[in-house]
Amino acid sequence: MKFSFARGALALTALLTLASCGGGKATFPINVSVSGVSYDGLVLTTNGQDLPIHYTGDPKSPATINAVFPNGIEYGEIYTVVPKSETSSDGKTVTVSYPKHQTCSPASGYPIGLPITGTAGQLAKIQINYVCAINAYPLTGTVKGLLGTGLTLANGSTVAPVAVAPDVDATTKAPTGKDVALVMSSVTFNTTYGVTVLTQPTNPTQTCVVTGGANGTGAGTMDQAAEDATVKGVNNLVVTCS
Amino acid sequence: MKSSILRAGVALACALGLAACGGGSGDLLLQGTINNGVTVDGRLAALTKEGLVLTNNGGDDLTIPAGATSFQFKRAVSTDDEFNIQVKATPSNVKECTITNGKARANYYTIAQVSITCYVKTHTFEIQIAGLTTNGLVVVNGTDRQDVPAKATSLKMNDVYEDGAYGVTVLQQPSGQTCSVENGSGTMGSTDTGNNKVVVRCS
Repeated sequence: MKFSFARGALALTALLTLASCGGGKATFPINVSVSGVSYDGLVLTTNGQDLPIHYTGDPKSPATINAVFPNGIEYGEIYTVVPKSETSSDGKTVTVSYPKHQTCSPASGYPIGLPITGTAGQLAKIQINYVCAINAYPLTGTVKGLLGTGLTLANGSTVAPVAVAPDVDATTKAPTGKDVALVMSSVTFNTTYGVTVLTQPTNPTQTCVVTGGANGTGAGTMDQAAEDATVKGVNNLVVTCS
Repeated sequence: MKSSILRAGVALACALGLAACGGGSGDLLLQGTINNGVTVDGRLAALTKEGLVLTNNGGDDLTIPAGATSFQFKRAVSTDDEFNIQVKATPSNVKECTITNGKARANYYTIAQVSITCYVKTHTFEIQIAGLTTNGLVVVNGTDRQDVPAKATSLKMNDVYEDGAYGVTVLQQPSGQTCSVENGSGTMGSTDTGNNKVVVRCS
């Protein structure tokens, strides 16, 4: 009798212990870390939930923001965490909720390059990492009247100078002086540019002058107006050679 | 019995003799990459001039040409040989070169994990201002934007990489005056002073 009671108690204890393990369904919180955030406006989404990433600090000192989606997901549920995007009613334009003036992409490389999609329970912890960078916009224009060779244009010291060769006739190989497209390196939003002639063309010797840009002499700031332009960036540089 | 001991002894001597030779007659070619571009911390890594010399275990000098993106030592090493790659000399426009995974025991994995980053020197970039009497002048060197106070006679811009280009231009004219830039573009020299002839002349 005594024995069987003890056995019963043991069985009950075992049952209770097991119940405490498996009782509730396991839920997995979706942890998010976004680095390089300089502006407000990013919204991440997965499994019908939105997670806004707020930042109102100084754009010059980007922040790393950690957040967790409001609700966890259950074991076996599939998640894909992406910036929220909305397609316009006519289906022509897609608006993605990135931070203003920024674009974000999944982090890459060890140790932060984790998959943004998976199945809950696949990994011990769901951790999603994104990296945001400030957008850069094109700085382009036209070189007019170029006959000589060796023209190089600089935009300060941060990027390598750009060499421009004259347009040449297909058969005679003689320079035609026709307009040549000028493509400088893209310029980050809210930074300045100033295009100058680093080396003038020779053979024949010419003098080239830069005009255009926001201030008319090849300089300006890649500002809101440039971002809002139909063709984004600054595309009105003119280098006149004579 | 005696002869078998002798035989073993000879075999051992042979083995030792071979092992002693092993050092230089391996089949692993020590190699690596040379990084170019702007590093994570915002410094410029580039090899634009000759002068980089690497050594392995203090010898085996390897001269790297300008513009190289990889290197390979001529003498092969054997598995388990220790290698230790060091910088013997740097190009004149390089401040320092750092080596990653340059010291290890050689095997097929470790011999290809070496990378070298050579950081280009920077120099102070101070330009002259002439005739400025009012406020409002803004001067840029690309993304480097500087406000110039009235009556300034010189302006310190951000540092510029040696042998790198600069192009100074007026972004905004001061009130009531017009400034133009003389000798605004050029290539940075190898000194911290007297390295440019830029003058912003206002009238």
